[in-house]
Amino acid sequence: MRSRAAASMLATLGFTNVSSMEGGINAWEGLRAAGPPETGMAHFPDGASPEVLLALAWLLEEGSRRFYAELSGSVDDKEAQKLFGDLATAEKHHEESLANLYTKLSGKEAKADFHRALIPNGTSEDIMEGGMSVTEGLSWAKGKGVRDVLELAISLEANAYDLYIKMDRNMGENAKARDVFSMLMLEEKQHLSRLASLLDRKL
Amino acid sequence: MGVADYFKPVETMTAEDVRAFIGKKKPDEYNLVDVRQPKEYERGHLPGARLIPVNDIPDRHKELDLNKPTIAY
Repeated sequence: MRSRAAASMLATLGFTNVSSMEGGINAWEGLRAAGPPETGMAHFPDGASPEVLLALAWLLEEGSRRFYAELSGSVDDKEAQKLFGDLATAEKHHEESLANLYTKLSGKEAKADFHRALIPNGTSEDIMEGGMSVTEGLSWAKGKGVRDVLELAISLEANAYDLYIKMDRNMGENAKARDVFSMLMLEEKQHLSRLASLLDRKL
Repeated sequence: MGVADYFKPVETMTAEDVRAFIGKKKPDEYNLVDVRQPKEYERGHLPGARLIPVNDIPDRHKELDLNKPTIAY
């Protein structure tokens, strides 16, 4: 599952022909592994208005925040509890940054449900970074070991990083927006490092 | 525009596709990238795979030729 997020990131970075190998090393060795729920990996449309992009990003952050908050209460591992708790708080801050930027760009107040008026009809709100349904992600994580859950979180954060690179590009010369997206990119990268180093310790 | 427009899947290959692909290509004609953590790589990896953990991609993707077909696992 990390490989899909990685492939998506490489494509964003300019690689023209990128694939992800299904099933990873287990499939290579002829084993079958139960993967996580299908994720599409978030690809935002080119040409959408900055306000729409902000609303969609806000929605993904909110989904991730709910996901981490639940996980931090359900995972057995103490270090993972702490990290998921920190990540839930960080996603909350990201929501605030996105809402503030919305106000700066649109001149309108970002009410608690400001995203609803902007996201396209039919967009599910049960969605988080990586394009995965929060409900499915949580139900998959139930009863899984800390390594599996960390792998999933790494995929989500890798995809969030990818998303903000793309959004940054969509903002063109808008300096206010680019400052916010640079900050978000940096933070997602830090989350990725923290998750990866915890996974390394648990292996 | 529905949610599907935002969440397009990336290209995937089966393990058999990859086996056939690397069987007919020279190693310098593609990038085969192991994006797992170092300990996982040490326990076993595909022949010729280069280790770049997913969290290192932002800083290390320039080590790869972006014009070559690239397979991540």
